Parts: sequence; C-alpha cells; structure tokens
Amino acid sequence: MQIVIDIENPNPPFAQLIEQIKQAVSSGQLAPGAPLPSIRQLASDLDLNNKTVAKAYRLLERDSVIQSRGYRGTFVHPDGQSNSSVDLNSWVVEQLQETIAAFRKAGVTDPEINNAFRNVMNESIITGG
Amino acid sequence: MAWSNNLFYIVFAGQILLLSWYLPTKLLARMQHVLETYPPAKYPKLYPKPIEHYRMGHLLYKYANRCILLLGFAILLALMFWVDHATFADDGFISEAWPAVFGMLQFLPLIGVELSEFSNLKQMRQANSAARRVASLERRSFIDMVSPALLGMTVLLFVGAIVFDLYVHDFAVSWGHDTVHRAIVMSITNGLLATVGLLSFFGRKRDPHQSAEDRTHSVAVNLKALLFISMALSVFNLMSAAENLVHMQSFEAVLVSIYFQVIALLSVGYTLKNIKTEDLNFDVYRKDAAAI
Repeated sequence: MQIVIDIENPNPPFAQLIEQIKQAVSSGQLAPGAPLPSIRQLASDLDLNNKTVAKAYRLLERDSVIQSRGYRGTFVHPDGQSNSSVDLNSWVVEQLQETIAAFRKAGVTDPEINNAFRNVMNESIITGG
Repeated sequence: MAWSNNLFYIVFAGQILLLSWYLPTKLLARMQHVLETYPPAKYPKLYPKPIEHYRMGHLLYKYANRCILLLGFAILLALMFWVDHATFADDGFISEAWPAVFGMLQFLPLIGVELSEFSNLKQMRQANSAARRVASLERRSFIDMVSPALLGMTVLLFVGAIVFDLYVHDFAVSWGHDTVHRAIVMSITNGLLATVGLLSFFGRKRDPHQSAEDRTHSVAVNLKALLFISMALSVFNLMSAAENLVHMQSFEAVLVSIYFQVIALLSVGYTLKNIKTEDLNFDVYRKDAAAI
C-alpha cells in the first residue's frame, strides 16, 4: 500500500495524507489493527516535516480511524472502516448552515450571529468546555 | 620471534593486496559498470554532475590505490630487510603500529568515495523538482531487517569483551590502564556505529529517487555490516586481552593486520556481495520516471 503526496496540489499535504489513509482503511487495504508507519518514518520517506504527519495522525486519531498505543506505535482503529466514512468537517459545515438558517429565520442579523459565535468560541477556549 | 615475523609478512602482504588491490578493483569495476550500463543520456537523474567528474573520480580512486599498493610493498620490503624493529617496540617484535597506520591510509580512498557519494546524493536532492512523493504505508521494523539473534550476539560480544578483559586483569584496573583504554575505544566506536545505523534506519531518504524496496534492502545490508564490524571489534579486543593472558605479544601486529582485513571484508566486501547492481531498480533514474 503506497501513499502519494503532491506538494503542488492545492490541498495541503496533511489533508492529502488524511484522505488517502481514510480511503485505504475504508476500502479494506488497511485492515483494522494493521500497524502504520511511525511519524518519523513517513515524514522521512515523504520528505515532509514531522509536524505535518503528526497533525494528520492526530486528526485521524480524533476521528477514531487510527489509534496510538504508546511505544508500540500507531494502528488502524478496530472501528476504523466505519469511522473513515465519517467526515467531521462536512458535518460541522452542515450543522452550522442549519443553525445559521434557523437564526436568520428568527430575525437575528448576521453581525449578531457573528458576534455570538465568536463570544461562545472564546468562552469555550477559555473554559476548555 | 622470526617465526612470528615471517607470519606477519605473509599476513601484511594479504592486507596490502586485499585493501589496495582486490576490493578497490571490485569497487571500481562496479562503478564503471554502472556508468556504462546506465549512461547519463538514458538515466540523467543518476548523474547530477557532469560525466567527466565521475570519470575523473574513478581515475583518482584507481591511482590512489595503486600508489598505496606500491607504498605497501615498499613498507613490507623495508620491514623485512631494513627496519630495526627494536627501535619501534621495546620487545623487538614488529610494532602493531605498522599495519594499523598503513591500514588507516588504505581506507582513505574509500572515505573519498563515500564523501563523493554523499555530495552526489546532496546534488540529486537539490536537483529533484518532482512534486510527487511516494511512500509505503508499511511500518519498517528494526527486527525485520536484522535478526534479534544477531543483535543479541553483538551486544553479548561487546559486554563479553569488556568483562573478559577485566577478568584477565583480576578486575583490578586503574584509570589509564590498557583495559580502560580498550573499553573506552570500544564504547566510542560502537556508539559511532550505532549512530550511523540509526541514521540510516530513521534518517531522511538520501537518494530522492531510490525505490522503497531498494532502500529497505540497502538499509538492511548496512545495518548487518555495522553489526558485523562491531562483532569483529569485540573479537579483536577479546583476542588482545587473551594475548596478555598467554603472553603472545609477538602476534599483536599479525592480529591488527587480520583485524583490518576482516573490517574491510565485512564493510566493503559484504556490501558488494549483497547489493548487486542487477537487482537494483535503475528505472527510477530515467528522465521520464515518475516517483516510485
């Protein structure tokens, strides 16, 4: 199983990594429990910064497509196949679009929505909620 | 004494021939074979420098080895007929410095080749404008490349050599003693070998076009060669310690000469034998080759 990164692609390398690993997991090319290369190995082979690969792995772990088992390394999550079809980004966009539409319907103006969103985000960052 | 000296002359002649004639001839033949079989016109990515640079390098390597070969035989004749060995060693035996210093000189052309290769790969990376990068999603494991038994044996020999040296001296050695020197030299050398091995395993891909299979194979061969060199070093130290035990100082020069030959065979010889040009994927160096 090979991974191909095109540095001239408008999609950033970490997003290309996520997309291809998700594809490999959902198509069964990477079975649940299969070991993945270390961050250092993949970064070295693709001539990328370690942080780029680490970011892709962190987001894939958040989506439960892969899981880190400490010193033993990173593996495909047991539920990785079903989780790899979930696209959290498009889900967030969809949810926001629905919420914004509801606010507008209730007569809330765009600057009010914008201010409220910013305040809630800032508060949640401060409180960690 | 004469018997051990005669043995040294034979072994030293072997060192001269092996390190300055046999292995360089093999290495040069391989470099020329690559240049002829995979010419710059068809495989431009393999040659970031002008072709004359490589031809000049080959000539330089050839004549440097020929000069060292002649010097080696001159030293051998001098040791046989003119040198008063008592002026170099208190005991009157042939000093081990002769094969050691000459051995280091014999390795110089090889170091030159390595440095030239390093610079060539650096230029290959700088010239590489490919936007497409490919990697395998299979995890590389150290023990897939090197058997745990070989690794264990290397560590065991390293520890064994130090403990045996201490045992020979009844564990009563002070700072500055030969045993302490040997232990320090062994630790530093093994540390360097480990660093080279770890860099080759974890480090960045030096050849930007090399296929994943070729890289895995060459890293595995390099790691094994490094482990064999470490084992040879430990065996050499074990024998040096044993020499003190049985008072065979007259064979010290023979031992050093054999050591250099073993090191050369395990590094250059082993690599030449196990990385065959016909097994390597040279298509990656073609002008129109995509990342593989």
